[in-house]
Amino acid sequence: MKIMIDEREVMAYPGEAILEVCRRENIFIPTLCYHPAFKGQGACRMCMVEIIDSRGQRKLVASCTYPVSDGLKVITSSEKIRKIRKTLAMLIAGRAQASPFAQKMAGEYEVKPFFFKGFENEKCILCRLCVNACEEMGSAVLAAVSRGVDKRIETPYAEGAEECIGCKACAEICPTGAIEVKEENGQRIIWHKTFDLIKCESCGREFATPEQIRFIEDKTGRKIEKFLCEGCRKRQTAEVIKEFSV
Amino acid sequence: MVKVADEAKMLADIREILDNYPPEERYILAVMQDMQKRFNYLPKAGLRMLAFYVGVPLSRVYAMASFYKAFSLTPKGQYVFRVCDGTACHIKGSETLIEQLYKCLGIRPGETTPDGRFSIETVNCLGACALAPVVVVNDRVYAKVMPGDVEKIIREYGGYAHEGKNED
Repeated sequence: MKIMIDEREVMAYPGEAILEVCRRENIFIPTLCYHPAFKGQGACRMCMVEIIDSRGQRKLVASCTYPVSDGLKVITSSEKIRKIRKTLAMLIAGRAQASPFAQKMAGEYEVKPFFFKGFENEKCILCRLCVNACEEMGSAVLAAVSRGVDKRIETPYAEGAEECIGCKACAEICPTGAIEVKEENGQRIIWHKTFDLIKCESCGREFATPEQIRFIEDKTGRKIEKFLCEGCRKRQTAEVIKEFSV
Repeated sequence: MVKVADEAKMLADIREILDNYPPEERYILAVMQDMQKRFNYLPKAGLRMLAFYVGVPLSRVYAMASFYKAFSLTPKGQYVFRVCDGTACHIKGSETLIEQLYKCLGIRPGETTPDGRFSIETVNCLGACALAPVVVVNDRVYAKVMPGDVEKIIREYGGYAHEGKNED
């Protein structure tokens, strides 16, 4: 189907969200809680765009969750949208006071954050990318706990979760570095739990936890014979593939 | 201290509640409501069993439980004093009632007496402003409560912890 984005006709597939089409067409829309690996969450509202329906009515929608339809008209930049993004930048910077990312964003949007009390050491913007990552890659031990101003990302009872495999996927995806990970003396401490670390057999870098290896083995049904870190595994695979090329 | 027999009884109770519902995600809230009613809070074992029963991660069940104010994650007393602190009750002196309760029970809102008999909570409005100030103990409503009435009400529920009456 065809849709109009900023008066430009582009192709879209049924079931796609506006944002996905924009990403493909290189039309920039700022996002915080979106990651191509997951579905749009509609949590941060940074990706708000205006749409014009068949009756000519303008409506604000979150582009990461709004599905495309034939003949849809989208405006990705307007005074209204700019105003919303400014407010969001201000609120997020007011909350995530210890996050350079959030503070820089407030600067870019030329807003002065109102600093909320009790959030002096806060880095988290509650985008929930870590919750998604934990669900998809790990064992779903993270969730947004409590409500309102007390809402935070935590494991149940703020204790080390039995199911946690220490894969660090949550910390890797976090845009603000809000998830604390300590790695020292061959151990990793994350989410109130301590894990041993396995060394890469090739380069010696500590790269995974035994729980993680077991988790992957269970999931894939294949025994991991050789412990190789990401880089070394890639190199080894490339070596193998090289043999096949003519 | 929780006795082993109590814990076995609790697990049996949890199982009984779960047995009333099919193992589907949509019954999570209903099960939690039943648990809250039975135990006055949501026990850890209960949430764990519920998550396993309906097949969702514990984190999601815990997130739901922590979201709703109707659920408590820490043990609540046998008798929960809900003191209304809405506008009308506040003006009519609900703070004095909370203070009086503290004098009698030695606990503040959100706390439970060590013997596990009494808890105090504040609520924002019970919708009975004409009866201000209102105190609700479990399901019983006390209207136009004066500070002097607080002791009487506590006595209706077997006296207060400070007297040490209920120590085994």
